[in-house]
Amino acid sequence: MVVAALVLAMSVFGAGVYDAAGHLKTGRPHVERPTKTTGPTVPGTMYVVQSGAIYRFQRGIFHQITPEAGWMQPAADPTGTRLVAVRRQSNVSDVYLLERSGRTWTQLTHHSSSAIELNHWAFYPRFSPDGSQLFYDYDPKDPYNSYRLDLAIYSNSADPSAKSSVQWTYPNPYTGGDVNPVPLDGGGLIYTRFSIDGQSKVHSQIWLQSRPGDTGTALTNPDADCLQPALTARGNLIAMVCTNGEPLSAQLVVAAFYPASLSLGPPAVLVNGQLLASPSFSPDGKTVAYLAPAAAGGGFQLWTIPVTQSTTPAPRQVSKGLDLDAASAPVWVQ
Amino acid sequence: MFMPRALIVSAGFLLAGLLGLGAYFLPVLQVASSSSRSGYVPDLDPRQRTTAPFTVLLLGSDDDAKFPPDRLNTQSMILVRVDPAAGQATMLSIPRDLWVPIPNQGEGKISTAFQLGGPPAAIAAVETNFGVHVDHYVWIGLNGLVKLIDQLGGVNVIVSNPVMDDFYPSDLAPGGYPYDYYRVAVLPGAAHLDGVHALQYVRSRHGDLRGDFARSERQQQVLLAIKGQASRLNVVDLPTLAKAFDGEIKTNMGLTRIRQLMGVANDFDGTSIHRIVLVPPYTSEGVIAGQDVVIPHWDTIRPFVHQTFP
Repeated sequence: MVVAALVLAMSVFGAGVYDAAGHLKTGRPHVERPTKTTGPTVPGTMYVVQSGAIYRFQRGIFHQITPEAGWMQPAADPTGTRLVAVRRQSNVSDVYLLERSGRTWTQLTHHSSSAIELNHWAFYPRFSPDGSQLFYDYDPKDPYNSYRLDLAIYSNSADPSAKSSVQWTYPNPYTGGDVNPVPLDGGGLIYTRFSIDGQSKVHSQIWLQSRPGDTGTALTNPDADCLQPALTARGNLIAMVCTNGEPLSAQLVVAAFYPASLSLGPPAVLVNGQLLASPSFSPDGKTVAYLAPAAAGGGFQLWTIPVTQSTTPAPRQVSKGLDLDAASAPVWVQ
Repeated sequence: MFMPRALIVSAGFLLAGLLGLGAYFLPVLQVASSSSRSGYVPDLDPRQRTTAPFTVLLLGSDDDAKFPPDRLNTQSMILVRVDPAAGQATMLSIPRDLWVPIPNQGEGKISTAFQLGGPPAAIAAVETNFGVHVDHYVWIGLNGLVKLIDQLGGVNVIVSNPVMDDFYPSDLAPGGYPYDYYRVAVLPGAAHLDGVHALQYVRSRHGDLRGDFARSERQQQVLLAIKGQASRLNVVDLPTLAKAFDGEIKTNMGLTRIRQLMGVANDFDGTSIHRIVLVPPYTSEGVIAGQDVVIPHWDTIRPFVHQTFP
């Protein structure tokens, strides 16, 4: 009887060791739905994306305004009454106009094809400052090489009935193309342009074009590897992400923008040595919202940081436990 | 009589505990094939650290239905030198199309060595051509990489430029036609990638001017990200990882070495890891025996490699 009890106790002990080892596991980070979380109040309204759904963030609360159906990269028109966004599905993506409530208004592009390689992408839709034009990325096919696929920036009338489009940029071949269009007041365009140097290194630069098809002007050096530009509503300040060739860390940089001289002022680093993405300005241009993980390897959260060149500002974490789409810059409107 | 009984009972509990521990780590022991000593129990002493440099050959294969399981090439070969004492590591990507003598097989692309003789042949091809010693290998298949990254909760990388591909192989779904394809667009900037999207990022090459060299750079970048994610794991996470791999990872590293590797992972940040891709002038492109190949320039490669792989 005693022996049996001991054997039983030993078995329980062995199983306990097995179980205890399992409890020491680190495990995968848990991702919350935005609607299950709250955050600090920020002035105005923001829109962010997670798992193919657009969320409105207002007074510290997230509201889901579209289903999880491939929605990404929303942008607001100058009045803040309409949104434009991409809906990405397998092999294809299209641009849609949406009401602020998220109800689909109009499908603006029709890129699907039954032949896989004849589908097209549309990304990064942005209204021009006067709301009359819509800029976006599109992948024209190379009739001589089906492997070449470089995104180029096009514009179209924001009127859904308009059909004609204008190709603004002609990307360096086999770089993946030009991205992140930011239309300028007065008709120009800022965007991210890629190149490959003689040592086979990829560089990204913030580029400025005055009109469609122009050669344009570089606003940043190739070695700074800057991308994802954002402008204040007044157009006097630019925010961007610069990686300086680092594979896993970047800087959030702001600089004055002088359209008359086609140049930037001295850069100020707001955040340094961190993985971060997709800055955008508050409506008053005094704060930058951006996306970055709260912990190494974690999902991207929403952060804000005041724009100041006199002191080192402290970033403020707005969301927790989310996995926001880092390719969809936060939209910040009144 | 009392003491022997107490000893027997204590030994019984000890044995039960060891059996519990052994059962927990069984999936890892099955993966760590060299740890075949009977009754091997992992050494969990966190104080034990390795200081001697060692070299690991990382091998990645397309192991989808297009290839018989015993006829796999290595689409990716990365030689990693870890020097724990110096706090330095080096990753050297070997072009899959590098035209080299393969021991006992004649000349061919270095990626075919694995097909002809498994890990020993791949190691021999690297050792004889590069003049380095390989201590260990790790082989991983497509699904293995996806599962590894998903188990880690994804990886964070900065995508340097758009990775666009209209002909990305759709070969991971079981039962599907292995020559199907679909379109991939990995957008530039910082991103949190799950396993499938990380695989697209490291595998796609059609739309990039630099072809396989670009892919090698991206593979090194994702390896860095995996290292960053893995550094937050501890040894008791290994069985869950091993179970998830389901034969999609093979290695001759013992559990003690794996644990030592995890121990040193925290000591290395991105700046202490040197990354090498054998772009021109170390190599040039050419055609040999009707095949597009990468021709090695050994007079520049070997002195360069021996600086970090003595």
